[in-house]
Amino acid sequence: MRRTALSLVLAPAAVALALAAPARADVPETVAKVILPGYAGFARATQDLATTAATDCTPEALRAPWNAAFDAWLGVQHVHIGPAEEEGRALAIAFWPDPKNIGGRQTEAMLQGADPALVTPEGAAQLSVAARGLFGLERLLYGDASDTNPAYACALRRALAADLARMAQTIEAGWKDGFAETVLSAGTPGNTTYLSAAEARQALFTQLIAGLEFDADTRIGRPLGSFDHPRPERAEARASGRSLRDVALSLKALRAFAGALVQGIGPIPATEAAFDRAEALAAKLNDPVFAGVADPGKRLKVEILQQAIKATRESAEAEIGALLGVRSGFNSADGD
Amino acid sequence: MKPTLMALATTALVPVLAAPALAGAPTEAAVISTYADLAEAGYADSLATAQGLQKAVDALIAAPSEATLAAAKAAWVAARVPYQQTEAFRFGNPIVDDWEGKVNAWPLDEGLIDYVDPDSAVNEENDLALANVIANPKLTIGGAEVDATEITPALLETLHEAEGIEANVATGYHAIEFLLWGQDLNGTGPGAGARPFTDYLQGDGCTHGNCDRRGAYLKAATELLVSDLTEMAGNWTAGGEARKVLEADPARGISAILTGLGSLSYGELAGERIKLGLMLHDPEEEHDCFSDMTHLSHYYDGIGIRNVYTGHYVRVDGAVVSGPSVSDLVKAKDAGVDAQLRADLDATVGKLTEMKAAAEGGMAFDQMLAMGNDKGAAIITGVVDALVTQTRGIERAVAVLGTSISVEGSDSLDNPSAVFQ
Repeated sequence: MRRTALSLVLAPAAVALALAAPARADVPETVAKVILPGYAGFARATQDLATTAATDCTPEALRAPWNAAFDAWLGVQHVHIGPAEEEGRALAIAFWPDPKNIGGRQTEAMLQGADPALVTPEGAAQLSVAARGLFGLERLLYGDASDTNPAYACALRRALAADLARMAQTIEAGWKDGFAETVLSAGTPGNTTYLSAAEARQALFTQLIAGLEFDADTRIGRPLGSFDHPRPERAEARASGRSLRDVALSLKALRAFAGALVQGIGPIPATEAAFDRAEALAAKLNDPVFAGVADPGKRLKVEILQQAIKATRESAEAEIGALLGVRSGFNSADGD
Repeated sequence: MKPTLMALATTALVPVLAAPALAGAPTEAAVISTYADLAEAGYADSLATAQGLQKAVDALIAAPSEATLAAAKAAWVAARVPYQQTEAFRFGNPIVDDWEGKVNAWPLDEGLIDYVDPDSAVNEENDLALANVIANPKLTIGGAEVDATEITPALLETLHEAEGIEANVATGYHAIEFLLWGQDLNGTGPGAGARPFTDYLQGDGCTHGNCDRRGAYLKAATELLVSDLTEMAGNWTAGGEARKVLEADPARGISAILTGLGSLSYGELAGERIKLGLMLHDPEEEHDCFSDMTHLSHYYDGIGIRNVYTGHYVRVDGAVVSGPSVSDLVKAKDAGVDAQLRADLDATVGKLTEMKAAAEGGMAFDQMLAMGNDKGAAIITGVVDALVTQTRGIERAVAVLGTSISVEGSDSLDNPSAVFQ
């Protein structure tokens, strides 16, 4: 039903574009099969986390649902358009990297201050993004930060879990109740966000390219540092031991996203081969938090994985860009 | 007069749009020429005002007083006006981007340079975050001992980004800003850094120790700023390296221009420098955190972006540099896209003007980002939204011109920031 309605909505745009390009399944495919289910899964997983926290806010009880929520986030983490971008939600869900340890300092200050107003749903929503979300919770689930004030830490976990579930629900609702339509109706009269179908294609394509860049340059590049000064302590989600898992799950999500983008348009053999190689390297790498970057023998394997992801980005940029007839737009990592 | 002329020009172009020929469009080479002229004038103005700062700093060191410190601060503020406008040339021109860190690196772990409040934020990833060069003539960097007995421009260059850490900022505008203002310890409350002029008094009146070395540091940092700007100003004169690269391939040059405008608008300005501070409610996350002049930095960035797109720069002395622009190229292909982008750029400058007015009225940027300051948050969000909107407009201009953006030309891919992530 839904698909039919969407096709009807898209019809005028398709007619307008008929001379320029054949009808395409790319954008609807990606929205319907990747983005919407991804956000639905993240909303469910964070709701499970919040429900558990409501009855038992101990680290032992929360680690499993927290990991499940993080896994779900990686399915859509690269999508920086629409509701995730509004009000800094993506930042609040996963504030990393945090080179000045702002989150750690703010968490410590909260545990010391123990302000009851901050552990309410309204209070948590006002907090700095560095203290919230998946990484705010990681700090309170692993390591010894909570020792400062165990009782308040428990209440804070409960509040942060509820805040996370609320943001996930808001993003999912935002897509279902409006932004999906904005993307799908690109180029139709009245759509002031995407003035042509190509603009929506470009926006999604940019998310794919930026996601691959983030995996290579940030998730792996930060711990790699330089040969003379490796930075294993900079690995993402090191306390929970998820660093490599995050790369692997992100690659899986980006591959599904790429596949949906070209569904019915044409094959992407070079990109598929590059994903095969990167995913195989990640699966084989026995270094869950990239500790090996400081060991010359093991470092090479991490560098090779990084190069494989960079090669995937290059293949995707050339091959998918050509199929979609767009080039990558500006992304948030374009600054310094 | 000007608006009328522009309206006529736009009307005249409408019939042209239907025809494939680009009547009225300047050549790409002419647009490159204007762009390089703007950069040449902008860096020359930056150099001249930095030389003014150097004179004021010399006067401060020679005779420290409230008056000479205030004059040096005023000279620093004046020097930022043309420099911030040149930021539009940074991304897209590797020769600028590779150099930029020497003069405008931010944020910094200022404890590398001088005394700081022991309770202030310390970067745990940085072994040198409290190195305090001014107090310590011997330093250990990356296991090796460094002789800092004499504070020279060469020593500062050694310290800059030491151990590969970008927060080790030993040179440039913000190092000088710290030496003039000192740490702003007011959090998100009113007030900027309050360094006393006695920090530069030689002999008995010296406060916080090592006033001779502090003066030497300030002098060396200012000297280095002038020499770095001299180098960049030279790159844009006739036959200069930056100009030659663009002239050799004007089509690629157009792509570089638009890359610079979009990257500054979105990832750098909207994200890293403006939105992030609000999201973190952290006063350290403001671009000019010692002086509380952040609003001016943002404002002149916005002006600089508009200058480049429209091919029009008002110099420090009031003279105007202008010529055929990217705007003209876009207008010839799609007058609607050009008009919208011009309106977007004006809207951003309007929002930045509101931010500047609020700051000048007593609400500095670090107060705007305080938790619970809804009015401040609205001002910041207004600027961010306008910048994001203009980025979309720039992407449309890129598409209309059939060019592409070339972020590979910047170091951004090697050093991405997590803004909006």
